[in-house]
Amino acid sequence: MAGLGELERAVMDVLWAAPAPCTARDVQDALAQRELATTTVLTVLGRLERKGLVSRARDSRAHRYQASGTREDHIATLMRDALEGAPDRGAVLVRFLGGMPPEEQAALRDLLR
Amino acid sequence: MISNSAALLVLGVLLAEPVSRALAAARWPALDPTGALLLWQAVGLAGGLALLGAGVSFGLAPLGPSLPAAVGALAGHLRRWDWPAGLGPWQLLALAAAAALAGRLFGILGLAVTRTLRARRRHRDLLDVLATPWPAMAGARVLAHPLPVAYCLPGLRSRLVVSEGTLAALSPAELAAVLAHERAHLRERHDLVVLPFVAWGATAPWVPGMARAQVAVAALVEMRADDVARARVSRLALAGALRRVGGAATLSGRATLTSFSAAVRGRLDRLDQQLDSPPLTLRLVPRLAALALVAVPTAVLLAP
Repeated sequence: MAGLGELERAVMDVLWAAPAPCTARDVQDALAQRELATTTVLTVLGRLERKGLVSRARDSRAHRYQASGTREDHIATLMRDALEGAPDRGAVLVRFLGGMPPEEQAALRDLLR
Repeated sequence: MISNSAALLVLGVLLAEPVSRALAAARWPALDPTGALLLWQAVGLAGGLALLGAGVSFGLAPLGPSLPAAVGALAGHLRRWDWPAGLGPWQLLALAAAAALAGRLFGILGLAVTRTLRARRRHRDLLDVLATPWPAMAGARVLAHPLPVAYCLPGLRSRLVVSEGTLAALSPAELAAVLAHERAHLRERHDLVVLPFVAWGATAPWVPGMARAQVAVAALVEMRADDVARARVSRLALAGALRRVGGAATLSGRATLTSFSAAVRGRLDRLDQQLDSPPLTLRLVPRLAALALVAVPTAVLLAP
């Protein structure tokens, strides 16, 4: 499954670049040189929707997909996660380089808002 | 059996407060983080065992001369659906206290585990889309953010993450040092080493010894990862990385992260001294103490 993350990134790039919500067909066409099957595109879109990166709306005939936030928004979420996961904050989610005290994490989080 | 339970209660209280506080304040753990971590695990395990065991053995004392005998007698009574005559209000109170402590400790632990697993899965899902694999360092991913951050996401499907800010700030040797440090966290499952103390600290946040244990164990885990890293890369590279990532935490003059820098300075001082690991006899002391700590309450509880 090494290629899946790469495919997800490619689909997100299409959605981020698109001026309007896309159908699965639009995504497939944008990635035409990869020769993806429609079911593959739908699977990837479904995964991205479950991850909260993509939202889906029903148009008259087809589903239209849209990125549910900019790349920067999501990266800021990850950075906040990383900081809040420091050991003295309860959850052992991720470990920061060094144990950063809570007040400094708060200062960093403010910068990330 | 009453005297046994009194001894266990004293041991449990001693371990939860003065012993934990003294160990958290001691200086020798910096010389032997592994030994100190073993001792901490033993203190936590023995403390929990002693406190729970004290309640149970006091509560069941009227039913037999030893805990195994009393448990057997209790099981016999329950099978015949008759109420064991010896159990008065004090015994029930002790049993209820032990049950409440066990419920709280394991409930909090379970909650911490499920929350952590859920948060990790969510984080990893996003990482796999948002962070780009980094061909130069197998297994590492790069996050497009100017803040210098390097961390690992522990678990069966672990991830190693550095930000573009880190890539810009560090030389290749320093970067290798940071990755060796984070890989040590992943390989030795430091998240699991810290986890019981997260539960311990949250079970009784009003007991300073237990709250400090959590912070002390987290600091020891960092020292241990430093030690693993500097066995692989040069001490200078590791110190340089710490200095730069620690120093870069002063973000464009808007926030000066003084005490983070102070924590980094503590680790730097440690790296600056050419720490020879202490002689074997000294390293045996915390390990034997850890063994004895776990063995004593177990023996007291199970002795026929």
